[in-house]
Formats: sequence, C-alpha cells, structure tokens
Amino acid sequence: MSFTRRGFLAGAMGVGCTALIGSPLGAAPLARVKELGVLRVGLYADNRPWSWDRDGTPAGIDVDLAMAIAEQLGVKSEIALFTADEDLSDDLRNVIWRGGLLGFRRCDLMLHVPFDMQLAAREDQVVFVAPYYREEFTGLCSAQTRDCDQPPQRFVGSQIAAELDSIPDFYLVGGFGGILRGDVRHYPTGYAAALAVHDGEAEMAVATRAQIEASLAERADSGARLRKSPLPMIPSAGWDIGMAVREDSRSLGFAVEEIVAAMASDGRMAALFARHGVTWRPAAATQAIG
Amino acid sequence: MKGLRNILATSVALAGIALTAPAIAEDGPSMDQLLNDAVSTGDVLTYGLGPQQHRFSPLDKINTETVARLVPAFAASLGGEKQRGQEAQPIVYDGVIYVTGSYSRMFAFDARTGEKLWEYNHRLPDGIMPCCDVVNRGAAIHGNKVIFATLDARLVALNRKTGKVIWNKMIADYKAGYSATAAPIIVNNLVITGNSGGEFGIVGEVQARNVETGELVWTRPVIEGHMGTLNGKENGITGKTNATWEGDMWITGGGATWLGGTYDPDTNLVFFGTGNPAPWNSHLRKGDNLYTSSTLAIDPATGVIKWHYQTTPHDGWDFDGVNEFIPFDAEFKGKKMKLGAKADRNGFFYVLDRTNGKLMNATPFVMQPTWASKIDLKTGRPVYNDDNRPGAPGTAEKGKSVFAVPSFLGGKNWMPMAYSPDTGLFYVPSNDWGMDIWNEPIAYKKGAAYLGAGFTIKPIAEDHIGALRAIDPKTGQIKWEYKNKAPLWGGVLTTRGNLVFTGTPEGYLKAFDARTGEELWKFQTGSGVVGSPVTWEMDGEQYIAVMSGWGGAVPLWGGEVAKTFKEISQGGSLWVFKLAK
Repeated sequence: MSFTRRGFLAGAMGVGCTALIGSPLGAAPLARVKELGVLRVGLYADNRPWSWDRDGTPAGIDVDLAMAIAEQLGVKSEIALFTADEDLSDDLRNVIWRGGLLGFRRCDLMLHVPFDMQLAAREDQVVFVAPYYREEFTGLCSAQTRDCDQPPQRFVGSQIAAELDSIPDFYLVGGFGGILRGDVRHYPTGYAAALAVHDGEAEMAVATRAQIEASLAERADSGARLRKSPLPMIPSAGWDIGMAVREDSRSLGFAVEEIVAAMASDGRMAALFARHGVTWRPAAATQAIG
Repeated sequence: MKGLRNILATSVALAGIALTAPAIAEDGPSMDQLLNDAVSTGDVLTYGLGPQQHRFSPLDKINTETVARLVPAFAASLGGEKQRGQEAQPIVYDGVIYVTGSYSRMFAFDARTGEKLWEYNHRLPDGIMPCCDVVNRGAAIHGNKVIFATLDARLVALNRKTGKVIWNKMIADYKAGYSATAAPIIVNNLVITGNSGGEFGIVGEVQARNVETGELVWTRPVIEGHMGTLNGKENGITGKTNATWEGDMWITGGGATWLGGTYDPDTNLVFFGTGNPAPWNSHLRKGDNLYTSSTLAIDPATGVIKWHYQTTPHDGWDFDGVNEFIPFDAEFKGKKMKLGAKADRNGFFYVLDRTNGKLMNATPFVMQPTWASKIDLKTGRPVYNDDNRPGAPGTAEKGKSVFAVPSFLGGKNWMPMAYSPDTGLFYVPSNDWGMDIWNEPIAYKKGAAYLGAGFTIKPIAEDHIGALRAIDPKTGQIKWEYKNKAPLWGGVLTTRGNLVFTGTPEGYLKAFDARTGEELWKFQTGSGVVGSPVTWEMDGEQYIAVMSGWGGAVPLWGGEVAKTFKEISQGGSLWVFKLAK
C-alpha cells in the first residue's frame, strides 16, 4: 500500500515540485484541518449511490466514507455537494485548487476522483491519493429477459436504458452498426437508467457496477438481474476511484491514505459499501503492487 | 439613402400605432419610443439602437474630421472584487446611463457626471456553473422598469429610479444547467428572451412575458417534438417529432437560444438564433437535428415559428447558430427586397429573404473555412468537406485529429455587428482561428470514464486573430479589414459621421473611417474592451459610451491564442467620451 502511494505521488510531484519548494505552506494543511476541527469534503451532487441529496441531507457511500475519514482525523466533517462541470479538470479546479467563480469555497478533500497516472501528469495543481474502489460498466436486465448475457445487439426492438452522454450511451447508440439507435432511452444518471429496468420501462440498462448493484439492493423484488459476462467491445476496461487534495496539502493526503488503507485491510471498507448494497472491489492500483 | 430611411421610419411608426395603442407606459419610455429608437438621437433605449439592431446612429457631430478631438468625459468603476468580462451595451434615458455588469449586477450612473445613482447586486446561488464567464450583455428599458437576465436563469425588472425589484421571474432551472446572459428585447409590451446552458440535456426556448408583471405569455421550445404554449395552453409542437432526430435524442437536443433576438417591425417577426445540437458527437445523432444551429422567424404575438433557416445542419464542430439576424432593405439583383443578414459562427455570411427565409447569398467572411467548400445557393445547404468532420469516438483506438476552421469559438462569436444604411455595409467583428479536435482516449466526467474530445485553438495567420471586416451584403465582398493581434470580442457601432467604433482586448476603443477602414482615433481604457459602444446626444453634444473589462470565453482557452492577451488586466468601468471644445 505504501509503495503504491509513493509511486503515484512521485508522478504528481515531478510536475509540482517547484511550487512545493517555493511554498511555506507545504506541510501545513493537516495541522490546519486539525486546528480548525473541520474537514471540508467536496462530493458530486446527484451521483447515487455515491453521494446525493436525500431529503436535504447528503447520503451515499462517499458521504459515509468522508465522515469516517473525518472521524479518524478527530475532526468534524463538512460535506459540500457540488454540481459536476463539463469534465474532471473543471471539477478539480472548482472544488480543490481555485474554488467556484460564484463563491463555492475550496474543499480540503474531494472524493470520487478517477485514479489514473496519465491524468495525474496533466493536473499539476492537485495530488491524487487513496484509490479505494475499482469501477466498471456492466449490464442489468429485466425479469423477462431470457438470456441476460446475450450481446447487446440482441436486445434490438426493446427499450434499452443509459445515462445521457455517457460511455454506455455512446456504446449502445454508436456501436453494433448503430442498430440500437432508435431503442435507447436516455436518463439523467446511470442509477436512474437502472431503475428504469426495475420499473419495467426498459428491458436492459448499461451503467456502472455500483449503480446497478445499488439499484438491485433498493428494488430486490423486481426480479431484474445483473449481467454476468463482460459487455463485448465496451470502450473502457474499468477504472480506479480515489481522492484528491491540493498540491500544497499532501500531508493531509498522506493521512487520508493511511486511514483508507487501514479501512480496506480490516474489512471496514467492505462493510461500508455493503450497507449500500455494493460489493467493494479494491482498486487495481492497490492490487498490482501490494 | 435618405429615401430608404424615410420608408423605414414610416413603417416603424405605423407598426407602433397598430401594436401599442392600449398600453401607455408610465414614467419612462413607451413602446412607441422603443420602436423609434433607431432615429431618436437623444437616448439609447434598445439593445442594438433600434429593434432591428443596426447599431447605426444618425448623429454626425463626431465624424471623420472631428473624431481626433474625442476625449473622455468621465469613467465610472463598477467597483468591488467582481470584475471579469464586461460585455454589456449601455442604455441611456433621461440623463441616466444603465449598464449591467459581470456577476449579474446592474448600475445607474448620472449621464452628465458619472456619479453612481444606484447599484443592484443579484444574489447568485453558488451552485451555478456558467460555461463561459460570468458576463451580462445588457438591459431593456420600458416605462418605469429596467429589465435584465441573470446567471441563475431569472429575469429581473427593477425600478429605473431606485434599483428596487419590481418583479423577478424564473426563466429556467439553474440546477438543471440553465443560465441567461443576453439582453432582453421588448415587442408589443412583451419581454422576449432566450435561454442558455452549457450543461448537457438542456433544450433551447424562446419565452415572452408581460412587461408589467413578468407573467409568461408564450413559450416556444426550438427543438422539434417539444410543445409550445400560449396563455398557459398548448400551442402546437415545434416541427414534427422524430422527423430529423432518431430515438429520444430530441428530448435533450440542445439548441440554446443564448444570444437573444432581434425584431423587425416591418414584417412583424422576431428572429432568434439557436445553439448547436447535443451531444457534441454528431455520429450519435443522424439527421439535420432541427432546429439547432438555425435562425427562426417567430410571430411575436403567439410564439409560432413562421420560417427557419439552418446554417449548419447536423453540426459536428460546435458551430451554434445563435448569431444575430439583422433585417435590412436593399436592392438585390435589381430588385428591392426585405433582407436579413447573419454572420454565423461557422464562418459564412448569409443573406436571406426575411419574409420567407430563402437563401439569397452566402460567402465566407473569415480565412479559409475548412468544414464546407461553399453554401449551395440552390439547396441552401453547405457542401461539406466530409474529411473535416471530427470522427466517432470509441470506434477507433485513438480518433484521428482534424484541423477545422473556424474554431468552435467561431468566425464570429456573440459580439454584434453593425449595419450602415449610408455605406450599405455590414461591419463584422470576426476572428481567424482554427482548432485541432481529437478523441481523448482517457477522459472522465462526474467520476466516470468518458469518451471526451480534446480541443486546441490555434491562430491561422502570422499577424492577427481578430479582424473587423466591412462586408457588402449584396456580393459578400470584403471592402476593407482592420486586423487585430488578439481576438476581437466586442460589439460594433457605426454612425452618420462616417465612423465605425469597436473595442479591442488590448484595451482600446478605436474609431475607423466607415468607407476606407482607416484608423482615425483610439483611446486606452485600462482593461480589455469586450462590450458594445453606443452614442447619443445630450445638451447639444454627442457622446460615446463603452464598457471596459476583459473577460468572456476567450481567456478560458489557452495555448497559442493566450499569448495574445496574457498581459491584459481585468477591469470593470464605464467610459464616456465627447469632443473637446
């Protein structure tokens, strides 16, 4: 685990080291968070099952994880749900290193940040830490579907659900010679696309594994089933999800990473995910070396 | 020329009588005065100096001979920490200048002294994500109200004397990604607005509201399949569902009407441009995708679409079609015609018959557009260069990179052009730049893997990006051009004094000879000028006013283009000029 961390930080540091040396604030943030007694965590609004607004209160896997981290640090947690911008780079700017143009205050920590070497090399204002989950796209089919594992093009003529403007959307609408183009119904989130199968609006959905598993836990009686075989030709092999701190806050990043590593190894992480109906899968980055 | 102007004035007056008889605006300009704004010289009552938005003034005290004596009368700061882009056009009435500022603010200044009379700060929620800076393009005035749109997609009417809110209405839900930055127009006592939004899944719409109460009168979504309304009742579907879209993609088809509209009293039509279709990847949405990237002619009483002309069918380059459509009358191939002109994001200058939307002429107004070889005058459609369409992501390992001109910021972006009936020329603030577009194999959106596209905007000429061009609408011929190092991002004003005014990001307000393009005057305002200048007469003297304050979408895009403006500082001031005695 510690090897993984150093490996990734080295990548980010190569770009950011000049700023680090020049900055007197280099080591302060963990101390400052403890001094203030509050950890401000930025989480995506409307990102079920990870983080969303449940009747005015933030809820989800990432919310529970953020609160657990704050508790381990001995501080209170302040959850700031934010609206996703056009891409991750915008989110990192708005949430971690600059703040929003209209007064959204910077956060100490952001969860649900893809953990990827090439991405880290481009983002020199932030440090990527604590990969905590391996995500991928998969399918959900209705109780009526005879063969849940058949290739997607076999679903031609029935309703298929996907999040608007997502890889599943591009995959279904653009793939298979475009024969499913007229069958795809679009939903605002992958979770909503999965619910459409439970509700009988669609026969099949493609979404992330966490979205689908959480929907199955929520609607256990619908008879819908998780696809077992991989989706053929889906243009993503899966990705790791981690966290981000400001470039000058790596002391906080180290501390968070220790906490997350401990939670992963003693079973608390799996239990936290299980409460939301999601099977915890460790990030590939933690498996490859550790 | 004079004859033409008289015809225009007469028709404006007639339309005014017919349309505004019952409503008498109290304590401020009436609908008749708004319709007469193109010829009244003591005020600036409309966005564009008249409903047709020619941005032409019949004033001539400041002219090619005297402009060298133009000096500042005063400058007024918008103050505070909230600077950024100032794209507003001032409104001038009864000795007061009304300007809107960045972050959805409005100010009233004494037009003689520059003293601030009041300031309104709209309270913005911090969850809004304006795609392209926190700008506003100007207010409308009517009776005792000044009205403007806000970044959280509301329309706010203030008492013009006190700055206090009279009504405040939601145009759309900012939480769903909607915003609003354009100046409203007022037609027959209806405030007519569009909407904007960078977020995916929005649908462009035009709305009309009662100017006194802000109550909605009609709505017209601009994507086929969506239902319009009139007085709260259904008023027909836009186009024909699924005629030019497949599946359910029309439901979230895009087409934001973010730049507002123009009004032609002569044909009694309002013209609104529409944004590009969604999603950006054109391979996922076969068909023309109506009515995206189009100009729509709409009946201002009912919101019914009378005709449409689509400049970029099945857009694949982010060429939205929001640019202003400017009505003008001219002889075309020996025949007197009611025409309209539009300098489109896609780099072509279009002239249409404004009574029916038929294409009369289309010519490039920027250097070497690559996406289409020409616009076919018979079919009215572009002749595409298929190799220049960005590829389908996910089908190739790494999508090929194409270099397309213009860039997605357009041959012309939001900044309004001007038309002089004296010279018969359009003065178009344009930019010569291209973009590399490629599919990004590693991209993420909202924490999930995503098939993104990478963009780099690049200059295509050694010596300039910006170019102010004088275009003869009858031939498309460029009569003169002024080249500017940085991209031009401000509006244009032309006058009977044979002058053309526009600002530059380098901080200058400049004056040019309208016939030759010779630069006759410039003044450094201290920050980039991306607003639209106006002129009026007061106490026997002619005044010019413009906002200074660098910002807008350009600074958000780096690379080689950024080199041209990296030294420019932010600001936020109103500058007012007159002739030295």
